[in-house]
Amino acid sequence: MRLTRNQPDAEDLVQEAAFLAYRAFDSFESGTNFRAWFLKILTNCYYSKRRREKSRPVTSDLDDTPDLYLYARSGQAGFPTQGPDPAAQLLDKLGTERIVAAMAQLPQEYRIVATLYFMDDLTYEEIAHTLECPVGTVRSRLHRSRKMLQKALWQIAEEDGIVGDHARQADA
Amino acid sequence: MTRLNRSNCEEAFRRLDDFLDRRLSSDEMRLIEEHLQICAWCTREFNFEASVLNGVKRKLRQIEAPADLVAKVLSRLPTP
Repeated sequence: MRLTRNQPDAEDLVQEAAFLAYRAFDSFESGTNFRAWFLKILTNCYYSKRRREKSRPVTSDLDDTPDLYLYARSGQAGFPTQGPDPAAQLLDKLGTERIVAAMAQLPQEYRIVATLYFMDDLTYEEIAHTLECPVGTVRSRLHRSRKMLQKALWQIAEEDGIVGDHARQADA
Repeated sequence: MTRLNRSNCEEAFRRLDDFLDRRLSSDEMRLIEEHLQICAWCTREFNFEASVLNGVKRKLRQIEAPADLVAKVLSRLPTP
């Protein structure tokens, strides 16, 4: 769902990928990584679907995100930045749903890399193999996607008033 | 990479992501670790970023696929 941004499309994608994997099962080499093989089919399937739809690229104001965005903003908003795991406390406050929503806001090429990294726990090399791109590309996209994810997450939290009240209290 | 000290936090910071993903050479990893031992500011930033990464991973991996997804997939596959 992190690729498609919604559940019906995600289910369609998985079903289509499963069908393609079933048809292409002869090409799977026994003893190799089935998960990586299936993820490759899944991402190819997604790209193919996107090409068919000729969707307009997602525009984003996330590109100019500075490093350590959550650290800086949470400090400015009065959240603790030291003590016992302040980031975990912040993420608990923001909640999983907002993290999912923030992932969905990433531009496609970053969302895919972030999904494979955060959710599927693939290494840089495995992501590069899955997407058929250089490891350096994975590294740079991952670096940017981390920053963009943090900014998107903070923006969503602000829109939902999760961090606004805290900031106002801190300012008062 | 030269030996890190308080004056070159920037050099450590440029390696933040690679350090957290353990993609540096063992020498570079050691130099960053040495820097973190003497720089409380960088330690706080590195720890915060590491916790954000791990927290996001943990939360996203808790999400389960819809219960009926497997049934839907199987129903789409041709019967042998």
